[in-house]
Amino acid sequence: MTDIPHQSPGIPSEAYRDILGRIAIPIIAVVAAFLVGLVAVMAMGVSLDRAVSAFINGAFGSAYSISASLNRSVSLALVGIGFVIAARAGLTNVGGEGQIAMGGMIATALCLAPGMAELPFGLSFIVPLLGGAIAGGVWGAIAGFLKVRAGANEVITTLLLSFIAIWLLYWSVQSENLLRQPMTSSATLPESLSIPASTQVPLLTGSYASPVTWGLPLTIVIAIAAAIILSRSVFGFNLKAIGFNPVAAARAGIAVGAGVVTALFVAGALGGLAGALMLQGEQYSLKAGFSSNYGFDGLVVGLLARNSITGVIAGALLFGFMRSGGISMEMMASVPSALVGVIQGLIVVSIAGAAYFLDRRSLR
Amino acid sequence: MDQGTAVQGVSAPAGNTEPQPLLTLSGVGKRFGEFSALADIDISFKSHEAHCLLGENGAGKSTLCNLVFGIHQPTSGAMQLEGASYAPANPRDAMRHGVAMVHQHFSLINELPVIDNLLIGKKFGRLNRKAEAEKLMALATEFGLELAPFDVVGDLSVGQRQRVEIVKCLMQRPRLLILDEPTAVLLPEEINSLLDVCSRVAESGCAVVMVTHKLAEIARVADRVTVLRGGRAVARSAEPSNDMDMLVRAMISRDGEAGANHNFGVSALPPRDPTPHRGPRPEAMQIDNLSFVDEIGVKRLDSVTLTIAEGEIVGIAGVEGNGQSELGSILAGLARATSGRWFAAGREMTAAKPRQITAAGVGVIPEDRHLVASIGQLSLADNLQLGRMQGFARYGLIDRKRQREEARTLMQRFDVRAPDSQSAFSTLSGGNQQKAVLARELTTPNLRFLLAAHPTRGLDIGAIEAVYTFIRQAADQNTGVLLISSELDELLAVADRIVVFYRGRIIGERSAKSDNRDDIGSLMSGKTP
Amino acid sequence: MTMELFVVFLASSVRLAIPLLFAATGEYVSERAGIVNMSVEGMMLTGAFGGALGTAMTGSPYFGLLFAVVFVLPIALLQSVLTNTLRANQVVTGIGINILVLGLTTLGYRQFFGNRSREMITGFNAWSPPFLGDLPVIGPIFHQAGLAYLAVAIIITLAWFMSRTGAGVALRAAGEDPHAVAISGVPVIALRHGAVLFTGLMAALGGAFLSIAEIHTFTEGMTRGAGYLAIVAVIFGNWRIWRIVLACLLFGAATALQFQLPAIGVQLPNALLIMMPYLLALLAVAGLVGRQIAPRALAQPFWK
Repeated sequence: MTDIPHQSPGIPSEAYRDILGRIAIPIIAVVAAFLVGLVAVMAMGVSLDRAVSAFINGAFGSAYSISASLNRSVSLALVGIGFVIAARAGLTNVGGEGQIAMGGMIATALCLAPGMAELPFGLSFIVPLLGGAIAGGVWGAIAGFLKVRAGANEVITTLLLSFIAIWLLYWSVQSENLLRQPMTSSATLPESLSIPASTQVPLLTGSYASPVTWGLPLTIVIAIAAAIILSRSVFGFNLKAIGFNPVAAARAGIAVGAGVVTALFVAGALGGLAGALMLQGEQYSLKAGFSSNYGFDGLVVGLLARNSITGVIAGALLFGFMRSGGISMEMMASVPSALVGVIQGLIVVSIAGAAYFLDRRSLR
Repeated sequence: MDQGTAVQGVSAPAGNTEPQPLLTLSGVGKRFGEFSALADIDISFKSHEAHCLLGENGAGKSTLCNLVFGIHQPTSGAMQLEGASYAPANPRDAMRHGVAMVHQHFSLINELPVIDNLLIGKKFGRLNRKAEAEKLMALATEFGLELAPFDVVGDLSVGQRQRVEIVKCLMQRPRLLILDEPTAVLLPEEINSLLDVCSRVAESGCAVVMVTHKLAEIARVADRVTVLRGGRAVARSAEPSNDMDMLVRAMISRDGEAGANHNFGVSALPPRDPTPHRGPRPEAMQIDNLSFVDEIGVKRLDSVTLTIAEGEIVGIAGVEGNGQSELGSILAGLARATSGRWFAAGREMTAAKPRQITAAGVGVIPEDRHLVASIGQLSLADNLQLGRMQGFARYGLIDRKRQREEARTLMQRFDVRAPDSQSAFSTLSGGNQQKAVLARELTTPNLRFLLAAHPTRGLDIGAIEAVYTFIRQAADQNTGVLLISSELDELLAVADRIVVFYRGRIIGERSAKSDNRDDIGSLMSGKTP
Repeated sequence: MTMELFVVFLASSVRLAIPLLFAATGEYVSERAGIVNMSVEGMMLTGAFGGALGTAMTGSPYFGLLFAVVFVLPIALLQSVLTNTLRANQVVTGIGINILVLGLTTLGYRQFFGNRSREMITGFNAWSPPFLGDLPVIGPIFHQAGLAYLAVAIIITLAWFMSRTGAGVALRAAGEDPHAVAISGVPVIALRHGAVLFTGLMAALGGAFLSIAEIHTFTEGMTRGAGYLAIVAVIFGNWRIWRIVLACLLFGAATALQFQLPAIGVQLPNALLIMMPYLLALLAVAGLVGRQIAPRALAQPFWK
């Protein structure tokens, strides 16, 4: 039986399913996970009022906290957008963590490079940003190259590359020959020097009271560009064709290998840019554990967005603000910020599980 | 179709010496969404009988088998097994009831040896492979099957794999054995031994149900035949050898012209100028001593040399699996020849990528429409322009309006029927999908050569005629055509000359005249005069 | 390096490899059945937590083991239901479970251990098997916690099970072509559930070994990627059990070298040694070290 036409559900049910899938399920999952979090807070014997107000304060309470949350969201959004772009070509980029590390590491090296701080026209911070992006991109492209050349599964290679990058970064801040600051005493921390002020990404407001950086508008531009490229460009169309059916795409003359490498390069570059922004806009010096799970969180944001850039933005904001709120909750209400991890984990697991009820019908 | 209403077996008169039916289907139907694959089927299968289901592609034969084997569940009607209600929820359920099935696509694990494949699902505890192998050899010999229990399945030929599959079914001592188009993949000599096996299985007391669309097989093995068309049982016979004409007429829809040539669609073609070569013509395509060895080291193509002139249609005949698919893959740019060279319109294409092949003016209708020729999830318009999006782009962005207009033009020109150019490709019928693929490939810029592999497989008559017409038109406009097909009648009707593939070699060449039909047939089975 | 130091090095290589051996052989079973559990990391962490908690509460490491298994089973069940029943994306559910478990164990740790975090819990005593332990020179290598010998027993049984029983064959087949296996009448989904639960059991033992037998306490996120390393061992071991065992021992040796090299005056960055397993595995999947053949249906949900 070769020619049974697939069932074509009518428009209303499709639209209904779309609304259910893209909006209702995530909202239900988020609300339910937060309720579980509240119950946990009560079980710990902490005043609910105190915990919640600490959380809200930490996330939205001041210009400073909103800025900090937004900066976190920026990193998550960049990794998430990269994930969605690679996913369009049928690729799962699990390597955000390592791409961030490579971006941060190369950006540090460039920021500290002699003469960099003196570059004019803002090049002093733009060049390291670009360098970080390219470093992350190369790290992603390696996985693409291995897939095209050796047929290596990118889930495996990006994960392996991630660990390699993390330990490279660790090495670089442990060794004085690399990025570690000069050892003046035995108490000198294993981290890099602080980067010069001119290589830092400028703040939007110019004031450290609201330290949101130019990374935010940059990310918004990137998000819009990504949405347009995915939906309307030849490149986006080719990625989609490759993702659905690489053999047919190749037969029709689409360069599948180049598409795969490019998609992973772009995904990696966005991760690398996130890393460079984290370093140049927030942390200012490189330490072990630099990527601090933003790669994995960003991957989750991208996956839960179910291929939509808007979804990535929403998820990145949610997770970004949650992180800030959680840190504040730990400091002000002595509720471990690990609770935020529990809530995030619940959200991920329930949304991933709920996909079944959406996919089942389209697959049958 | 009055024959269809005469239900036999359900209420056989008492005292009849005929065996009682083992399995009875009453009013069984199956819908997939809007599509009715099977409707109002009344049929019964008896022990000791080989019952053939005859019908063209898409007639509902496979669906019927899948219902009996529990892969799908009927949407109407009921089944009874020895008088008791029978509604298998899944294949396992069906097997518990003594129903076994040999699928068109084998359910063997290539990575495992034959013996492990045979024991999957039968034994969960400790395996004594040697002892089990001996038992299985005995069983296989009983039905005249050869078996090499310790060979890895991935290394076996298709015929050998099918034997493993059959042994796997016989191991359960089934009461009903279903074979879904078992001969489609076999060599002529293998077919006869398979039919012998079927007869032996039926003699042993099993009810055998065999799906086919080949009349010769029916004459040889069938005790009873039911003809399906458009999802309905349109004729049945308990003496197939005597009712051949009636069966053929039932199988194809138009009564009058049926008897003479059952390969419908072809007869409607206007005759083509039998002498297209007036003086020498430039070459559209040239294959020079091409060989291909696959990854397990089997030589699939062996020193093939062939030249096609502009405007010429050359057919490749052969039982499937004799190198045609490999040749198709190489010419499509999806595989690279191990040695030898090939040229399109004088330019060497041996190491070219698909894009370069297309750019050289080569159109390709691959044999696998779903996997290679199209992307089901994309729209019809996108499939019509697959790989040509750059032509609609400004600053890298696609001008959707222009693309849609162009798609509508193509749809009209090639009679692709769909609600809209934006319809998902997978929702189109097979015929319209194929016409869309043709539309794309025949509008390849500077088309000089067209490769068409099994272009009418699984299509209805209307679509088949359209495909032939389009291919003929292309040839009339000086495109060289290589037509690969397993249907000899198709090749005889459409091509100018026919080369026969046997074990990866060109074993002979004849002009496409029906006088040569028997000659070509014996070449296909490897017999050179 | 003196012979004595070398034997110490070998003994610690084996000791450091044991948690990996448990987790990797567990993950091997799942992957042969077609499922990648990124959550091995979370399962190990849960096992480490359960082991520490049980031992601290009862004073007996054996109860600790029991706790570890009891704690991990619901996590494994969650992974199994998500991947097998709900056919969710295996990578995302695994990572989600890891995030969840890191949060849960940290919360639980603060709740139950609080300030007692530095207190050591009772561990297993190392044990020397008769004869082997008495061998001259190499005897100390066999001086290991009893769990190590449990691991050996399980691995041998597992190797036998996978190659010599019908269930083992069916399980391997389910990772290559689940549809074919289903048609042969094997309940593929049930088989895959079983595989994931077995992975959970093994990861629990591996995690518990870390907290009870190795570190003698629980710390937040203490597995530090050991679960991912187990997955890497499966990849580097090319999905063959004995090669996976070798990979685990090799990775154990790489870790042990960190402590040995300074002792013999070789300066090599730690990071380089820790990176070794990942680098080797990457070279392997890149086709530079033999040919890797993953199960064909790995990480693909099975829809009937």
